[in-house]
Amino acid sequence: MARRRAAFYWMTIPAVVLFFLFHTFPALQGVYYSFTNWNGFGDHYDFIGFKNYYYLFQDSNVWNAYGFTFKFAVVATIFINLISLLIALGLNASIKARNFFRAVYFLPNILSVLIVGYIFNYLFSNVFPIWGAHLGSDTLAGNILGNEKFAWLGVSFVAVWQGIAFNTILYLSGLQTIPTDIYEASNLDGASKWQEFWKITFPMIAPFFTINMVLAMKNSLMVFDLIVALTNGGPGRATQSISHLIYTGGFEGGEFAYQSANSVIYFIVIALISIIQIRFLQRRETDM
Amino acid sequence: MRRFGRTVSVITAVLLAGTLLSSCGGTTSADGKVHIEFFQNKPEAKDSFDKLVAKFNAENPNIEVTQVNPPDAETVLLTRVVKNDEPDIVGMGATDTFSILSQSGIFEDLTGQPLLDRVNPAYVKQITDVTGMADITGVPYATNANGIMYNKEIFRKLNLQVPKTWDELIQTAQAVKAAGIIPFYFTYKDDWQTNLSFNALGPNIVGNDFFKARRAGETTFKEHFREVAEKMLALLDYGHSDNFGKTYADGNRSFARGEAAMYIQGTWAIPELRKTNPDLELGFFPFPTGNDPNKVNLISGVDTLLAITQSSKHKEEAAKFVEFLLQPENIGQYIDEQTAFAAVEGVNQDDPAVAELKPYFEQSRFVDFADHFIPAAVQLNSITQSFLQNHNIDWFLNTLDTEWDKVANRRQTQ
Repeated sequence: MARRRAAFYWMTIPAVVLFFLFHTFPALQGVYYSFTNWNGFGDHYDFIGFKNYYYLFQDSNVWNAYGFTFKFAVVATIFINLISLLIALGLNASIKARNFFRAVYFLPNILSVLIVGYIFNYLFSNVFPIWGAHLGSDTLAGNILGNEKFAWLGVSFVAVWQGIAFNTILYLSGLQTIPTDIYEASNLDGASKWQEFWKITFPMIAPFFTINMVLAMKNSLMVFDLIVALTNGGPGRATQSISHLIYTGGFEGGEFAYQSANSVIYFIVIALISIIQIRFLQRRETDM
Repeated sequence: MRRFGRTVSVITAVLLAGTLLSSCGGTTSADGKVHIEFFQNKPEAKDSFDKLVAKFNAENPNIEVTQVNPPDAETVLLTRVVKNDEPDIVGMGATDTFSILSQSGIFEDLTGQPLLDRVNPAYVKQITDVTGMADITGVPYATNANGIMYNKEIFRKLNLQVPKTWDELIQTAQAVKAAGIIPFYFTYKDDWQTNLSFNALGPNIVGNDFFKARRAGETTFKEHFREVAEKMLALLDYGHSDNFGKTYADGNRSFARGEAAMYIQGTWAIPELRKTNPDLELGFFPFPTGNDPNKVNLISGVDTLLAITQSSKHKEEAAKFVEFLLQPENIGQYIDEQTAFAAVEGVNQDDPAVAELKPYFEQSRFVDFADHFIPAAVQLNSITQSFLQNHNIDWFLNTLDTEWDKVANRRQTQ
């Protein structure tokens, strides 16, 4: 027995080593550099204490990036969960060609974010404006991604379109865990479909709702490749997400240490939000 | 069971050692050749360099040059420098990125090297102006020009002359608009396209000495750049219906198809335009920024310079490749294919599309791009893109000043 356990310990070690080497160690390095003024290369740097953090709080670009990212993340999370729950309910019902539809809805998840982004970039600039012109709307007749006020809606639209696929699958597997006899019993009691959903279905998939909300929120907060492919943060800085700011400022701008400080704060913020979300939503689960 | 556990850890150890070794990237090779990595940032120039590299490798059986040209190459280069994994030779523009890298001692000092003998000193000066260093850290290779392209067919049809002054430029645009044709094809969805007019107007109206004074904190954008901003806005009236919705690629396609009369652009776009429409009758004139034609200078900067890295283990062979590229025959082939201009003296660009620029080069009437002097962290492009949407001149000038100061403050603590 003891021998067997030893083998299991050995099996976990490679993962721990790899994780530490390629994840934890660089992350700690980042924290270290955030207290320096290193530009990312060259040999020379000094310790400057919390100066980077001090400058961060005065930088309007940082506030702007946080503003956009949260606006985007909240909207995307809500719509992704709402729509994918609806689709999952549909796909779980006994409809014809169910497997075909499941495959269709899963397709966006297989495509790479960058490819989806570039395709939509083309559609936004060359196809949607033609439809918009037919509808007679001046705003829709132009490329919405080029519009400072509305570009974030375009980005959110694509994010939701792609995000739905994965969350639908999770909801679907959640729905399949519900035993059918509960529905039979509720049918006998004369419950309406609406009551059935709120009283049985939704409470039963509560853990899936929690994990979907947390995942969608975390993914949206970390949005990067979609921004690169669609707007590159523009027009101006209208759709610049935090990770995009860290990347462009840190590497293109040669402010490696400064943006390291930004990513340390960013890490804390995301961790806090995820913890709060899980706490809050899991309390809801146990109430049921 | 125990043996299994040990096997797993042995395999892991081997795998790990493998990754660590390969990430160090040794240049020793089994075939006895010296391997040199040539990293360059122009996707348009990939094919041209491929041909030259093949020719060099055939002539030098002991050396094997490989070209690397990833997308978003400047950023890739910076991330590689962070990892201490520098290529042997770097081909890039004389930009702020180049300046940062030079100041960090990444590039070899080439001052006094025979490589620089045949290069036009005006371009060497542009390089030291941009880096602010006495050392010459790169060999200027190909240069470009920024100005206004025009469709000769449309100009002929409307009986228009090439404008020589700012007022004539506006009159021309008005005439084109009145004829129901798009005067300028703007491609402002890509933020780097918005700085083209800034780059043309700034150096002629204000002058690039401004940036030295700005670095020293002696002047502000607010004091000097109002006229530049006003003229940038004035041009917007002569665009198409979706100026901020079209990208550089969209613009090249549309202008090549004859959908607009003029296109504020650099010479680098000419090969792209010809891919869409080889028969396009193309002309190119310097941006008329003021009303005295004698004071209009061409905007021309180093599009590609060649730098050898300090960390290269094969500097001699690297220099040999640079020397090869600089030979008149080879650089001639490059500038022909790229419609660029040679930094090497005596090698001329005879493409009819850029014939109107020739006198400016001959009389050395050219100045460098303004954005080569602006720290990349200021993000001029996105500020300009915002400004052209919000039309607020005070906001534009103030933001340029505050962003510049913020970046300067952060750099100063270094």
